[in-house]
Amino acid sequence: MLEARDLTIKYGERVAVANVSLTLMPGQISAIIGPNGAGKSTFLQALNGQLEPTSGVVLLDGQPLEKLNRRTIGRRIAVVAQEAELRFPITVLEFVLGGRFAWAASASWGWETERDIEVANTVLHETELSELSGRLMNELSGGERQRAVLARALATEAIILLLDEPTANLDLSHQSTLLALVRGRCDIYGASALVVTHDINLAAQFADNVLLMKDGHTISSGRPEEVLTPGLLRDVFEVIVLVDAHPITGVPRVTTVHETHRQV
Amino acid sequence: MPQTSQTVREVTDDAGRRVTVPLRIDRIISLAPNLTEIVYAIGAGDRLVGDTSYCDYPPAAKTVEKVGDTLHPSIERIVALRPQLVLVSTASQLEVFTHQLETQNIAVFVTDPHDLEGVFRSINQLGGILDHDDQAKQLVDQLRSRTAAVEAAVKTTQPVRVFYQLSAEPLYTAGREAFVTDLIRRAGGLSVTADVSGAWPKYSAESALAARPEAIILPTGGSMGAANSTVAEPLQRSPAVVLGKVYKINDDHLVRPGPRAVDGLEEMARSLHPDVFKL
Amino acid sequence: MTISESSHGRASTVYKPPHNRTTLRKTVIACGLLSGTLLLVVVLMSLVGSEPLPAGASLCALLSFGRSQCTLTSDQFAILFQIRLPRILLAAAVGGSLATAGASYQALLRNPLAEPYLLGISNGAAVGTMVALVFFGASEWSRPLLAFVGALVATLAVYRLARGRAGATPERLVLAGVIVTTFLSSVIVFVTTLMDATRIRSFTFWLLGDLSGTSKNLLPVAIAIAFVGTVVLTANARSLNLLMLGERDAFDLGVEVGRVRIVVFVVASLLVGSSVAASGSVGYVGLVVPHLARLSLGSDNRLSIPAAALGGSLFVIVADTVARTLIAPRELPVGAITALIGAPLFIYLLKRT
Repeated sequence: MLEARDLTIKYGERVAVANVSLTLMPGQISAIIGPNGAGKSTFLQALNGQLEPTSGVVLLDGQPLEKLNRRTIGRRIAVVAQEAELRFPITVLEFVLGGRFAWAASASWGWETERDIEVANTVLHETELSELSGRLMNELSGGERQRAVLARALATEAIILLLDEPTANLDLSHQSTLLALVRGRCDIYGASALVVTHDINLAAQFADNVLLMKDGHTISSGRPEEVLTPGLLRDVFEVIVLVDAHPITGVPRVTTVHETHRQV
Repeated sequence: MPQTSQTVREVTDDAGRRVTVPLRIDRIISLAPNLTEIVYAIGAGDRLVGDTSYCDYPPAAKTVEKVGDTLHPSIERIVALRPQLVLVSTASQLEVFTHQLETQNIAVFVTDPHDLEGVFRSINQLGGILDHDDQAKQLVDQLRSRTAAVEAAVKTTQPVRVFYQLSAEPLYTAGREAFVTDLIRRAGGLSVTADVSGAWPKYSAESALAARPEAIILPTGGSMGAANSTVAEPLQRSPAVVLGKVYKINDDHLVRPGPRAVDGLEEMARSLHPDVFKL
Repeated sequence: MTISESSHGRASTVYKPPHNRTTLRKTVIACGLLSGTLLLVVVLMSLVGSEPLPAGASLCALLSFGRSQCTLTSDQFAILFQIRLPRILLAAAVGGSLATAGASYQALLRNPLAEPYLLGISNGAAVGTMVALVFFGASEWSRPLLAFVGALVATLAVYRLARGRAGATPERLVLAGVIVTTFLSSVIVFVTTLMDATRIRSFTFWLLGDLSGTSKNLLPVAIAIAFVGTVVLTANARSLNLLMLGERDAFDLGVEVGRVRIVVFVVASLLVGSSVAASGSVGYVGLVVPHLARLSLGSDNRLSIPAAALGGSLFVIVADTVARTLIAPRELPVGAITALIGAPLFIYLLKRT
């Protein structure tokens, strides 16, 4: 379980995140939404130790992050962030196998085990990349690369997944597939996931828990139905929205209303 | 502009250039140590108004105003001293410089002695230009007779195979075009690198060893100071080292094409053939 | 980077990976072959030099490890074992060190152009060695030591210069490297012009390298450092594999980024320092050899680092053999040969990728 208590992150005088708390419960997907500059990604980066908070603490299974070494953290927390820098040729399989690093017997040297290969092939199958496993990463499309990044994160077998705009380059079908995979992990293995996203509706469709942020502060937190209200969304995003219920699933559906929209 | 005399003469220097110089010259600048030595040796030292930082012989030369080193002298300083003649040695690679001085209407005389004969020629040339013909002739005669004495003495001996070590690491030696190669020959030696192209080639240690030199000359102690006073590692096995025939000679006597080159000649000959120099 | 439109009908690529992934078996085979080739080349190049040696007798003497003189004269024996072989071994140590350092910098800095010479690290080592020669001339050990310090200082200078808001991007790194290299080159030329060349060597030594001066004491040190350095860096190869994809990614996946960075900087500086102290800067080795290794064997550092080490040794041995025989008995600086081979090769490689 990952718990962030009262995190504040400052860059000099500028406050990027102010007193934000969040607990990721097993089996749950949480989403962070908010306008640009709200501090969403910054907050996520503090959750696995990438950024050191100015104050506040992050507890992984009850222990503060600073006390744990990187390999331990790497085994329990996986991050899906923007695409990797691909200046050297690397195959998809090699890339995904990178996710097994934290499980290596020794800190640096060593070769992949049978188990490692098995896990890699499984996640490649799950993300529909098996056919491309021998290709070079930079031959893939943006969406395929993103799926490979997810595959690598899944290969770590971490039970806490932090995803920063994971659907940015994916087409509609792959967006749902990706989040379905995450959902599957949470349901079957009791993983917890945190998704930072711009797509409010995606958050509504998949998240159990939504955190609404603006200017580094928590504006509201709770179930999507509680947080995604026209009033709150208008204050945060400064745009008029209409919130109704999805006709089939009943989850909140957010649409914007603007005078420039076409009328049919 | 430097023209204190009405009458001039035309001379040809070693670079084939026709140079117009005043008949009466009172202000000279020398841009090479060997030329400074020659000027003093023919008795015209009092007319030097400038020389290089390397010009240290005779001791009086040190007190003359410095215009820089031999590679990059200061044009401004030279011009400020208003010389009537600037002496340049190609041994100091100053051909490019002469053009700059000419555009300032300063007469430049280039000398290019490759061997001892060239040195004698330079002395006579300078004697002619500076109106010290007699002193020059006298000096050359002395030097010639000393040279002849050395050559006569070593004529009866077998030439000694010599390796001239300019520096140990990296290993540099004297090639075909080096001035000292001629001296070695006259001193009764045979430089094992006499046929190698160039003046100061970087040399293969293997070849130096394989040449089995019977004597090694280490130029050191002059301008070089204490440097180059040990034989390079690969040559430690050579016959020269084994037999103890390693000779340190003042480097200024071996690389400056001037009067002291004959000193160097004598020193080398005495080292290589001690038996014929009982004096 | 080519971006294709869909899963099918890909744009053709210029690079075909040699395999799917690197395995222990592939690594052992490749390194075994390279080691065998290295041994062969050492023996063959020992037979070549400015002085002709009888091939059969020389081979016999080599294979007996110097115990038997076979039919060589004592001079020939001395040439073979005291002049040629030490020089070849030094070439191997220098080549291996520089290639390994280059491969490691490229992985750590995520920049295929990171090379000890181009980044100014070789020049830093050169300045360090010059200081040792001027102030501690008598002590041989001061040279590789101060060379190491010089290399480290240059590394830190480049790194600090390159660090912008977004971290040290490869572009900034190359720029910082160019600044440091040219600045230090000027310092080297300045000092060598002022000072007596016999005391601190000429600038051609520093900027173009020279393998002819082999100190009996320092050769085993150079070899030991090359070997140990390669082993240590290979031991961090898996971390470097991840670092090649980005510091953030590596961090997230469990790599101790700070620790690995320190290890690479220190060990690579040691490798560069010991090479430059012994032979001046031999350029292009750390650029061309790792490139070739990655092109033919893949980017996995567990293989490409040791392969670069062995390949670097081969490259410099051959280049030095050319340098000492092309205009025999005169010699060329080895850096001139590595540049003549390396620069066109590099241009060709640039065009391929």
